Amino acid sequence: MAANIGILRRPVSTEGVWGWITTVDHKRIGILYGVSAFIFFLIGGIEALLMRVQLAQPDGTFVEAGTFNALFTMHGTTMVFMVVMPAGAAFFNFLVPLMIGARDVAFPRLNALSYWLFIFGAILMNFSFFKAAFPDVGWFGYAPLTTSEYTLSSSTDYWVLGLQIMGIGTTAAGFNFVITILNMRAPGMTLMRMPLFPWMTLIVSFLIIFAFPPLTIALTLLLFDRFFGTNFFDTAGAGADPLLWQHLFWIFGHPEVYILILPAMGIVSDILPTFSRKPLFGYTTVVFAGAVIAFLGFGVWAHHMFTTGLGAWATAAFAGATMAIGVPTGVKIFNWLATLWGGSIQFKTPLLFALGFISMFMLGGLSGVMHAAVPVDTQQQDTYFIVAHFHYVLFGGSIFGLTAGIYYWFPKMTGRMLSERIGKVHFWVMFIGFNMTFMPMHILGVLGMPRRVYTYSVDQNWAGLNLFVSIGAFVIAVSILLLIINIVRSARKGEAAGMNPWAAATLEWAIPSPPPHYNFAVIPTVRSQHPLWDEEANAVEPPPLPAHGEPHMPDPSYWPIVIALGITMVAGGLLIWQANTWLGLLVIAVFGFVGIRGIYGWVFEPVAEESAERVHAHH
Amino acid sequence: MICVTIAPLARGYATNVTTPTAHPQNLAATLRRLLYFALAAVALVAVLASCDTPLTTFEPRSDAAQRVHTIYIFVIVAASIVGFLVLAGMAYILWRYRERPGQKAQQIHGNATLEITWTVIPILILIAIAIPTIVWIAGTTADPDEDALHIEAVGHQWWFEFRYPGLGPNGEDLVTANELRVPVGRQVAITLEAKDVIHSFWVPQLVGKTDMVPGRTNILEKFTPTEIGTFYGQCAEFCGSAHALMRFRVHVDSHADFDRWVENMNAAPVEPEAGSVEAAGARVFGNFCARCHTIEGVSTEDIGPNLTLFGDRATLGAGILDSTPENLKAWVSNIRDIKPVLETTNAMPTFYVGDPLIDQLTEAQVDQVVAYLKSLKLR
Repeated sequence: MAANIGILRRPVSTEGVWGWITTVDHKRIGILYGVSAFIFFLIGGIEALLMRVQLAQPDGTFVEAGTFNALFTMHGTTMVFMVVMPAGAAFFNFLVPLMIGARDVAFPRLNALSYWLFIFGAILMNFSFFKAAFPDVGWFGYAPLTTSEYTLSSSTDYWVLGLQIMGIGTTAAGFNFVITILNMRAPGMTLMRMPLFPWMTLIVSFLIIFAFPPLTIALTLLLFDRFFGTNFFDTAGAGADPLLWQHLFWIFGHPEVYILILPAMGIVSDILPTFSRKPLFGYTTVVFAGAVIAFLGFGVWAHHMFTTGLGAWATAAFAGATMAIGVPTGVKIFNWLATLWGGSIQFKTPLLFALGFISMFMLGGLSGVMHAAVPVDTQQQDTYFIVAHFHYVLFGGSIFGLTAGIYYWFPKMTGRMLSERIGKVHFWVMFIGFNMTFMPMHILGVLGMPRRVYTYSVDQNWAGLNLFVSIGAFVIAVSILLLIINIVRSARKGEAAGMNPWAAATLEWAIPSPPPHYNFAVIPTVRSQHPLWDEEANAVEPPPLPAHGEPHMPDPSYWPIVIALGITMVAGGLLIWQANTWLGLLVIAVFGFVGIRGIYGWVFEPVAEESAERVHAHH
Repeated sequence: MICVTIAPLARGYATNVTTPTAHPQNLAATLRRLLYFALAAVALVAVLASCDTPLTTFEPRSDAAQRVHTIYIFVIVAASIVGFLVLAGMAYILWRYRERPGQKAQQIHGNATLEITWTVIPILILIAIAIPTIVWIAGTTADPDEDALHIEAVGHQWWFEFRYPGLGPNGEDLVTANELRVPVGRQVAITLEAKDVIHSFWVPQLVGKTDMVPGRTNILEKFTPTEIGTFYGQCAEFCGSAHALMRFRVHVDSHADFDRWVENMNAAPVEPEAGSVEAAGARVFGNFCARCHTIEGVSTEDIGPNLTLFGDRATLGAGILDSTPENLKAWVSNIRDIKPVLETTNAMPTFYVGDPLIDQLTEAQVDQVVAYLKSLKLR
């Protein structure tokens, strides 16, 4: 039997564009995620700036209402699903195998499929801009506004299908990383010796596995409502319930918040010990607090719905649970501060961003406790106070944490240091711009400015603060320019990093920068939480290649991108079907076949091309 | 009022903050300065919150808003104190343990007593916040007073309908739109519904928000207005293109004014004098506007807002414009120049006044109907 049953032979070259398209190397997939996330970060940022121009003065006429509604919808959707999540995935991919002493993730081709589904889903959703208009129903898309009766354009269909496709990829990635972390740790790397970043990755992966199915279900029901006239959410008919959408969305949506923040917490927990030159204070507590946050995160979704008319008991229970989640979060902050206590603190750029994370995230947490108090929430819900709160958590938290990660691990990824000088300026400009933008939003919220309004009038007296906020937004934009300059300059002529430029303790620093494609020539043996601080053997030069030469790594594969294309274009066919039934059905049939053929090819793909030749030779 | 009383207070705190302390190393003095700073920040917010911003959440004018406000101030002070203490502690640690010659990192792995302490302290603070929260929630389940004024508020894309059961002609509903009238000192019990998508009813100075969900009847927190005046309301749930412009007003009247208004709402308007501009306007209204709008005793359709006593309304277009003849003329002529309303079957048509090819109404007709609507006043 011929092992190669595909039309596409298993590729062997890792060179050039095809090398990237067919790659199954976790480090390359990590870079793909990172670059894609950064591009979407710029797009989402431009959307934010356009909104701030519109709101800089009362009765603004820069954009129309519909455009503004599309801008905030896409800004939110982009930043959550196309920026912070894939940026987290970039770090998971690049670092987790290195930090646990593995050569790749458990399922390298599935890993590539996750990336291609993410990028194709994101492109499909943004493609609505050229076909109809950007989706304009808000990032949490409350029914029945999203049903066909109230949304005249097909933009919402792009939103539903784009999210659904990205969700499939994310769910697969969740399984991949749980299995990788549980099964592929180096000898001696017990779970309780694992660095915090892989720990948080493990917890986030479990969150993904349990949180994404409710979203998938909600989107499927909405899809059925929109395409086939079922009646899950549209109240015009009998039996539908618009609040069902909110429950399903937030059962996903609140754990999602922790999916966005826990990776940053992991990054910060690994950066602090390096730059205070001492171990993480209360390692066990910090790990356990992360797990408790994730667990409680599934029991607080209805705090997004305090004003929807839940019963008193439900409201009280969810308020209590929401306050409870503040406890493990507070514990983490205190443990981080105790890590700094008694240290010898080196104020390098990664630490500055980590400190920015701790301080700003704490403020976001405190405002979060404020609207856990239900009476207060009746005045804060859907105002700029909420906008301020979640930007302190997701920008002050996630983005500062991820940026700390960029400065910390860029040397490992590229072999070159980012400039400390530009880095420090970048930090201060971003820190000041961030607070100029989001601190006054608290006051605007107290003054009653509702979120998601494209305009406000002079007599509401919000003009001065709004102008100040808009100026702050452009200060943030300047800081992002500084980051781009730093990356571009340093990637070409930055100082050479060497293996362990920060004298850090974890395994990824025991191999060259950038790491060879097989990561570890010899898999290390681990005997403590700080293999490079406590163990002589791991701290010196990596062992030479063994006699049999380079470790054999999985060959590249075409099938991940083929399957992702098939799935995405079936969704595209569904969109075409609305305008042209037969063309739509044709596209669905053709690409349905491509997808199924892709799965078939994937399943029977030989381990490597030369093995096919060997089979031939035997005949 | 609060604006005036708090401002000097804030200045006092500010002075305290800037006064140099004799012994900066004294921990108590440092803590006191921090507390002053936190209070000054809170006071600053309070000042900003109280000056001429009609949607402010910091100037309660009902018992319900006052109850929420008290808890609000409590949590904001608690959160500010915690925030400033932690930030100050962080700043101290960063300065004390910065890298310098001779500084050696202490290899501490943890300390169970400390960790238990900083687990228990947040629990205690959160319990302190949870108690008033739960008490408040329990309070919202109370039945309305015997003599409470019952109102049904209905959200539409993009305006508010208000129905007073039993106060209308023959014991039916009294119906008005976008400007709610209630008497001072009497409890108001409002139920909330929605015709199309989800909206949210919110009058920051009188009552916190509750959503208006299609297919459900939600109960707004009962409130008793404590002061005569006009208060701003706003839809607080994104509801489509014109969400930003879905506003309303609540007029808190004296009992006598409220009773007079109810009486007038039940009477047909005075017939305009034959041959007057208003009489011509009444004909225009009958031919066009009456297809969707009710005026008590004149027309009965309820697709659009009820316009009875429209001449007494302070605003038009769901609280977005002053009800001047010029604004009303612009509104009737080309509504979509003012508000981004979609062209759906139930939406007000654009009459394209001034466009000779497609106009549905002449400018003269608009002037007439404006004069008629403005004449619908209390007697």
